[in-house]
Amino acid sequence: MRKELPDWLKTAMPETAAAPEAIARTAREQAETLGLPGLRDEEWRWTNLRAIQRGQFSAPIGVGADIEPSIRLPLDNPLRLRFIDGVFEGVPNEIPEGLTLSALADADEDTRQAAFSPTPAPSVENPNDALVTLNTAMAREGVVIDVAANAVIERPIVIEWLDGATESVMSHPRVLVRLGQSSSATLIEHIETVGEQPSWRNSVIVSSIAANAALTHIALGLDGARRLATERTFVSLERDARYHSHNVQLGGQMIRREYDIHVGGSGAHVDLIGLMMPRGKQVLDTHTRITHAAADTTSNEHYRTIADDAGRGIFKGRILIEEDAQRIQAYQSSNNLILSDNAEIDAKPELEIYADDVSCSHGATIGRLDEEALFYLRSRGLQLDEARGLLIAGFAQEVVDEIPLVELRDWLTERVEQRLGERDTADDEKA
Amino acid sequence: MALLEIKNLHAEIDGKEILRGINLTINAGEVHAIMGPNGSGKSTLCHVLGGRDGYEVTQGTITFDGHDLLEMETEERAVAGMLLGFQHPVEIPGVKNIYLLKESLNAKREAQGLDEVDTFTFMKQVRELVASMDMDDAFLHRGVNAGFSGGEKKRNEILQMLLLEPKLALLDETDSGLDIDALKVVSEGINRMRGEERGIILVTHYQRLLNYVEPDFVHVLYQGKIIKSGDKSLAHRLEAEGYQEILEEAS
Ligand SMILES: Nc1ncnc2c1ncn2[C@@H]1O[C@H](COP(=O)(O)OP(=O)(O)OP(=O)(O)O)[C@@H](O)[C@H]1O
Ligand SMILES: [Mg+2]
Repeated sequence: MRKELPDWLKTAMPETAAAPEAIARTAREQAETLGLPGLRDEEWRWTNLRAIQRGQFSAPIGVGADIEPSIRLPLDNPLRLRFIDGVFEGVPNEIPEGLTLSALADADEDTRQAAFSPTPAPSVENPNDALVTLNTAMAREGVVIDVAANAVIERPIVIEWLDGATESVMSHPRVLVRLGQSSSATLIEHIETVGEQPSWRNSVIVSSIAANAALTHIALGLDGARRLATERTFVSLERDARYHSHNVQLGGQMIRREYDIHVGGSGAHVDLIGLMMPRGKQVLDTHTRITHAAADTTSNEHYRTIADDAGRGIFKGRILIEEDAQRIQAYQSSNNLILSDNAEIDAKPELEIYADDVSCSHGATIGRLDEEALFYLRSRGLQLDEARGLLIAGFAQEVVDEIPLVELRDWLTERVEQRLGERDTADDEKA
Repeated sequence: MALLEIKNLHAEIDGKEILRGINLTINAGEVHAIMGPNGSGKSTLCHVLGGRDGYEVTQGTITFDGHDLLEMETEERAVAGMLLGFQHPVEIPGVKNIYLLKESLNAKREAQGLDEVDTFTFMKQVRELVASMDMDDAFLHRGVNAGFSGGEKKRNEILQMLLLEPKLALLDETDSGLDIDALKVVSEGINRMRGEERGIILVTHYQRLLNYVEPDFVHVLYQGKIIKSGDKSLAHRLEAEGYQEILEEAS
């Protein structure tokens, strides 16, 4: 059973939205019938939205204050697109040639149409799409990122989601990313909680990558004890396009992140790499769906989760290969490490193959730290804590190493080690 | 005082008794070979000496260099000078070899009240050792044993031993599965360790190793007990006659 839309959400429905009027009106009606996904929905078996249901969140009033992220990423001259509690702070000056950045509210009708018509389209039958529908009905803020054909944008484009600046705020921002033929760009989501307040962000990114273009998309969910987020990314790839996604989730109370990727042109390639490290009572959940709709396409997916304390990690990866999509290579692995008796990890690969000439593999492992490896390290004189730390960091490192930006990779390596260090201190305090 | 003294050692795993009264004394300067059929408890003995979890010592005592070994954690045994060469060295892809070498050496130095080794001296020493083991420097930057061949893993164990210079080296089948060139390199490494102040235990199935590293004593372990001890000629007898006759003699 899905849950009925709570009253506070119904009443928060805006009269005017960023979506074109007809789309917004339909979405408002559908949102009411769809409600919020409940535990009985197959896609929500492991994660529930109770915290949102009970949250009494209200629309942002726009603090407008000069709120800065407290975490500095080592990026070379980034283009910052800052959202404070979902309110867009405006486009930066001096935008490189070939790149256009504009506030969604200022975009023309066609652009807004595109922003609210993702490929693959969310289907009404899928209860999952209640959240996308809600975003469509409620989105007022957003940004449009357009990369011209043949443009190579070296400067990373950074969306800063700064959540929790004001009390119990919800936001439904929408982002459109379009890469022209043979262009390339790097999009980074810097996700941080800037206050102690509970928050809920229901964001949607719609992206299209034209022929021979390449998008690198890195999401860094860095902290936040009371941050709730439901994040959705749609990607469609034309022929020879490439999409490299790196999804790192280190914080948040409940984070549900979903990717819908439509590989629609031959020669296209997708990498989905992920690292989730739930601890405390965090729930970190990623669902990915890749549809190989064209022949000679490839995908490579590698997710790792490390769950500590009473943390919960969820990974579900679906790969669908359509009937005419021959000569597909799709590889998926999900490796998971449980560090405490109260932690839990659910990992589920799902392959649906309708073509006959495909090479597919998937595997999921869930385990504890390797006792034999621990013994080996200790027999060389390393303390138990250090040996454990090394093994855990080593496990994470294998996915961190796949971040294409060297400085960011080194920074994240340290950040992960630092987190594991906090773990040791916490253990000491307990002892 | 003996370097290692094992008295009436009984140990079990999951309630199953594997070691059933082992007595063994090793003095500094001696090389002992332990032989015995598969499943006789050789690796179990090594693991108990190394302090691995899951083994319960039900009777007996072990003294190592004046310490009550059974009271020490695995890492304490290591820094006190015991090195266990694994029959099956573990692959640890996320931890670099060079890092482990350095941390191990520093752990030992710290226990001895010494400062951390300086990087230059350390690298120089490690490179020399790597060359002496006929290994490539590239191994240093790979994950510990990750994707190493069987022979490479065993060389790596000896490399660690040479760096850490243990008082007691317990080498569990370090010679198994080595081709003749690798066996020579490994044996040379062991012979370099041999010395007045050190003890070495070689667990092996083959006389071949003992041609290169001549033991002072040979013991036969059978069903969790040492049923016969002798000098190196015992190993030759085993090779020629097999275990049957010696088992019958002993019973
Ligand atoms: N975890 C365990 N649980 C139960 N029995 C075990 C366990 N580990 C080892 N054993 C048993 O203990 C006995 C001794 O094993 P051990 O590995 O010490 O023999 P070994 O002499 O080293 O043999 P090999 O020459 O094959 O290396 C064997 O019967 C083995 O099956
Ligand atoms: Mg053995």
